[in-house]
Amino acid sequence: MNTLAATPPLIVAGTAVLALLAGLLPTRWAHREGPTIIAIVGLLAAAVMSIVLWGNRIVALGGGYRIDRLGVLFNLIFIGCAIATLLLSVHESAGVDRRGEYAALVVTATAGMVLVAGAGDLITIFLGIEILSVALYVLCALELWRERSLESGLKYLIVGAVGSSFLLYGLAFLFGTTGSTNLSTIGSRLTEASFNTEPLLWIAVTLIIVGLGFKASAAPFHMWTPDVYEGAPTPITAFMATATKAAAFVAFLRIFAAPLIDLVHTWQIAIGAVAVASIVVGNIAALVQTNLKRMLAYSSIAQAGYLLIGVAAGTIQGAQAVLFYLLAYAVMTMAAFAVVIIREREVDDGEQLTALSGYGRARPVLGGIMTLAMLSLAGFPPLSGFIGKFLLFGAAAEQHLWWLAVVGALGSVVSLGYYLRVVGVLWFGADSDPQPRKLLEVSSPAILTTAACGVAILGFAVFAGPLLTVCQQAAMSLLSA
Amino acid sequence: MPWMTILILIPFFGSLSMCIVPVGGLFQARLQAALAGGLTLVMSLIMLGNFHRDFPGPQFVEHAGWATQVGLDWTVWVDGISIWLIILTTGLFAVAIAYLCFRTPERPRAFLALILLAEVGLIGLFSAGNLILFYVFWELMLIPFYFLIGMWGGAGRQLASIKFVIYTMFGSLLMLISIVSTAVIAHGITGVYTFDIVALRNVAYTRPESIWLLSGFLLAFLIKLPLWPFHGWMPNAYRESPIVVVGLLAAVVSKAGVYGLLRIGLPLFPRGMEYFQYPIMLLALVSIVYGSLVAWRQPTMRMLVGYSSLAHVGFIALGIAAIDAQAAQGAVLQMVNHGVVVAAAFAIVGIISARTGKEDMDDIGGLASGAPWLAGLFLVVAMASLTIPGSNSFAGEFFILAGVFRHDWWAASIAMIGVIYAAVYMLRLYQSSMNGPLRGGDPHRAELKVRDVVVLVPLISVMLFIALWPQVLVGASSAAVDNAVAPAQVAVGRPPSEIHALVLPNLLPATALPSATSTTGGAAQ
Repeated sequence: MNTLAATPPLIVAGTAVLALLAGLLPTRWAHREGPTIIAIVGLLAAAVMSIVLWGNRIVALGGGYRIDRLGVLFNLIFIGCAIATLLLSVHESAGVDRRGEYAALVVTATAGMVLVAGAGDLITIFLGIEILSVALYVLCALELWRERSLESGLKYLIVGAVGSSFLLYGLAFLFGTTGSTNLSTIGSRLTEASFNTEPLLWIAVTLIIVGLGFKASAAPFHMWTPDVYEGAPTPITAFMATATKAAAFVAFLRIFAAPLIDLVHTWQIAIGAVAVASIVVGNIAALVQTNLKRMLAYSSIAQAGYLLIGVAAGTIQGAQAVLFYLLAYAVMTMAAFAVVIIREREVDDGEQLTALSGYGRARPVLGGIMTLAMLSLAGFPPLSGFIGKFLLFGAAAEQHLWWLAVVGALGSVVSLGYYLRVVGVLWFGADSDPQPRKLLEVSSPAILTTAACGVAILGFAVFAGPLLTVCQQAAMSLLSA
Repeated sequence: MPWMTILILIPFFGSLSMCIVPVGGLFQARLQAALAGGLTLVMSLIMLGNFHRDFPGPQFVEHAGWATQVGLDWTVWVDGISIWLIILTTGLFAVAIAYLCFRTPERPRAFLALILLAEVGLIGLFSAGNLILFYVFWELMLIPFYFLIGMWGGAGRQLASIKFVIYTMFGSLLMLISIVSTAVIAHGITGVYTFDIVALRNVAYTRPESIWLLSGFLLAFLIKLPLWPFHGWMPNAYRESPIVVVGLLAAVVSKAGVYGLLRIGLPLFPRGMEYFQYPIMLLALVSIVYGSLVAWRQPTMRMLVGYSSLAHVGFIALGIAAIDAQAAQGAVLQMVNHGVVVAAAFAIVGIISARTGKEDMDDIGGLASGAPWLAGLFLVVAMASLTIPGSNSFAGEFFILAGVFRHDWWAASIAMIGVIYAAVYMLRLYQSSMNGPLRGGDPHRAELKVRDVVVLVPLISVMLFIALWPQVLVGASSAAVDNAVAPAQVAVGRPPSEIHALVLPNLLPATALPSATSTTGGAAQ
């Protein structure tokens, strides 16, 4: 029975192996399309398994892994992002000859994320983060013939390793303070004795925030983000911007909103400060970008800042807001990257802002989806990004963290400068390329994924009620240890 | 029947219906837009017919869930204040669509769709029954105007559109913080987590809370109005936008800010309004004087009318800041008056510049010799704009000045400068374009055609109607206005004889209102 809980990560990991093997299939069609198909089928199976387990609380692997509502919800986010990434990568040049490796690595990274989402102890958290990171180091560098891609992989490797070591060090201090790696045990130990003045705990908290800050690309640990995002193959960038960020935040929630929640005063200011730094740095730096991937990288730094507001609140409402905003953030960021991916296949320099000039008039549907994504990222009501921000600011206000809410609001005003610039270029810009040269075929799965993300931006807003109930239940499951 | 919701949905579906118009389907696009605009107007008039004039509270209340666990729901209603603003909106949008049907812009489908979407935002704003919905519609109307300015504007449209949005969003995101904080603080006081405007009326915030919460709202309202010095977006937007968009911005969108003060500022945060009363009054006075002086020296017709609008909106804000039932009543009346007058003025500017191809006042002159009908109607509009006694604006501005004078005679005296200067700049506009030596080509070309009459005659008839019979408007809104102003009147310590509200505000603990119980109910007049 207990192993049933561990089925989602096991299925995902098994899928990775199968996808890798499928790359060796004999016929050309089979080894080209096979890995993607197998990966998607396997991921869907894991998603179905997760949904079946909704509502259960099962601890497996000796407390190392557990399934609860929070884990299930995050599994779905990760799997959704992975499937979208695979669909967007159909005919992606990075994976043409290495379809097996490509699909297998994406699924492996997903397996790491699923492990983090259901982590029951510190070791699993670290293991999961390392699995996903290592897979992504390779994925970033997969366009071997492009120097930027190699640079991106190397940079991510070095900075990622630094981040991981900070995280490991922090986890070790947490273990040293409480004498346990199990999250539930840590929680109960922390409530038993007074750790308020324990310096080891402060060190542990600081190091963990730094380590996870690297993974979530929060300022001031964000320096790698623009370069890596720019250099990596664009579907992989999309995957990193959505799923990896969600993985970092589930780790934040698993550590801070569960065992450390009673010591909120020890870490609230620190996380709040990182949030403010991210909002300020991300939004201001994004203003001057002309490369869409870099702009979205800085935008993702700012968005990490908004999400950290919810973590800093240190309440169930805060966690709920983080969950909802992550869902919304994932679809709007995925939609934005999807349009960039499509444009990249149509023209040279498709990742430049100028490539979108007048694109909305030429391709109204894609332009409309990009507009929706930008408006939602900027927090225009009634789109899902607005509801998320509303919840985050509400969670902050409830804890009387007015300064966080005000910084978030002012940051959103600044963000209009670059989000609306994209919208302006799309619709008001001069016609750039009346005859789009097709460099690569724009695949119908890519178009479908883009459309699905666009629908989700609206759908999450319309069905915010039921979705919030789900998020609330997931957030509640953090505490019922 | 959910009248209010249907009223919001008609233009929304009208906007969506533009998607099914084939490329080049000009006639179909115009027909659908006209149908949507006309139907909305008819619906709103039916609602007016079923409106209970003496009932001070919400009518046509409609509820539906959205994300109720965090306080988001669909609550719409109208009262004596908002019904008139909705009529103003539906009427002016119908006129705007008529104008557009005869002078189709480039890419007509998108233009008409955006105009209808803007109408959705405004009707929704004026009927929103909870703060979140208010915010949603407040922002929703921003998007169509952003595109309308950015896609169809003049040479500086990019800057104008982005400036418009960033100014407005700056205020409105802080308003969002205020909205959330309002609910959180009210939750602490009453134990109920709600964004409902009616429910939040009776929350007794402390004075600092009231001041801080209001300040977020106030910034958003003053930017939207705009009042000096928050009008930085206005010159660019007015200079670059298509004339229809300028007309709608000045006539309807500027009312959103005043409406916010009246719907949220006065009833929800009376003690904050008490604190900010004189700052707002001062800004309103500066806007009146500044707007009048700048309007006087503007080189183009549209900027002259635009700055005159700044001054007139200052008057309306003054009426609110006076915290006096009569002045607030005047402000409501003047909102409608100003909307109609400024829309007519911009329509005339649009007609003249479309015919002569010029906008500079130095290039246009003596048109009355060839276009007497145009000159005649223009004179009516100009007279209404400069508040000549007997015009519709006179009643409104008289109410405002009388109400202000009762407590702050100095403010009323300064505001009189605005009335005087209105005569100066409006007569300059009229004389230089209609009289004097002939400039700007054949004056006969400027004479009104059927398509101009269709736009101008409804507006001017409404002006004349209100001039003769303002009581229609006043009678149906006074109960709601009295109700809205009463909390702030209590907060600033007005004598009970001036407070006419039927339902007394529960502003302070019951013991702190010794005299309030003795007030008499009844209409303001």
